[in-house]
Amino acid sequence: MLSPKRIKYRKKQRGTRDGVAHRGNYLAFGEFGLIAVEPKWITNRQIEAARIAMTRHIKRGGKVWIRIFPDMPFTKKPAETRQGNGKGNPEGWVAVVKTGAVMFEMGGVNEELAREALQLAASKLPIKTKFIMRRDVE
Amino acid sequence: MNEKQLTGAYRKEDFGSAGSRRLIRAGRIPAVIYGKGENVHLSLDAKDFINKMRHFSESTLLTVKLGKKEHVVLMKDYQENVMRGEVTHVDFFEVTTDEVLRTNVSVVLHGSAPGTRTGGILEQVIYDIEVECLPKDLPESIVVDINKLGLNESIHVSQIAIPEGVKVLTPSDTTVVTVKALREEAAPAEEETEEPEVVTKATEAPEEK
Repeated sequence: MLSPKRIKYRKKQRGTRDGVAHRGNYLAFGEFGLIAVEPKWITNRQIEAARIAMTRHIKRGGKVWIRIFPDMPFTKKPAETRQGNGKGNPEGWVAVVKTGAVMFEMGGVNEELAREALQLAASKLPIKTKFIMRRDVE
Repeated sequence: MNEKQLTGAYRKEDFGSAGSRRLIRAGRIPAVIYGKGENVHLSLDAKDFINKMRHFSESTLLTVKLGKKEHVVLMKDYQENVMRGEVTHVDFFEVTTDEVLRTNVSVVLHGSAPGTRTGGILEQVIYDIEVECLPKDLPESIVVDINKLGLNESIHVSQIAIPEGVKVLTPSDTTVVTVKALREEAAPAEEETEEPEVVTKATEAPEEK
């Protein structure tokens, strides 16, 4: 699963997910993509589940790019502890996804297969998504 | 219906983001024509533009009719709201017939690569090429024939057939399309990820020396 190798601090403040993605909001590599329609934290497990779902569906046919990286640690306090006594322990990693961010890209497959594969990937994510493709000139 | 002819209306007031929003709500698209002369602000019919947009690329010469005047332009850029599927602004570049221009021409792949039948994956690395030419020589797209592209082979910019009068500005060693052998999928990573190394001054110090 994706996680950083080196970090500067073990814990981070939660921040905000307001606004739209001004970076990573376009197709950079592939022909098809999946964009986030709402903001959310996406865990590294969800990213891995989505990756497995789409790569299995395309059966070694095309190429997949993951455009988000879970570099944000999230913490949890142990069960049945009183409030206070500092921030909880790091429990996992999330990618902060803003509205309009391209999360996955795919190339080397036809549109129908890409739609199906990205639909399967979308079903593993906790957010509403939208399928996009490069502008095709007839 | 001529797909390369657009009819616009002059936009003489109600500028700014609020004015543009009002225009978009009314089913029109704010646009601008720039080039050698003064900038011209206009608005286009959204439905008509989106229908015609499917038939032209960034390197197609278009005619924008504004009142009695006609402007020969290229669509330089456009902004869209991907969420709503609407075009929010269009930039047109007015071309001068006797002056060379620089623009991007889209690359279209033609045929099917034999390498993909022997287990390779076709990967298009760049989708457009920067060219310099006179407006009359400007191709709508550059066709790349991939019928002889085998496994682990690539086509570079230098190998593409370029029409006469067109100068390519993209570096000649840039890969346009490649067929890569598929790598075996890596074994599933361990369930529990290791704690990452925390970079502190103590750990950084030896690297600095």
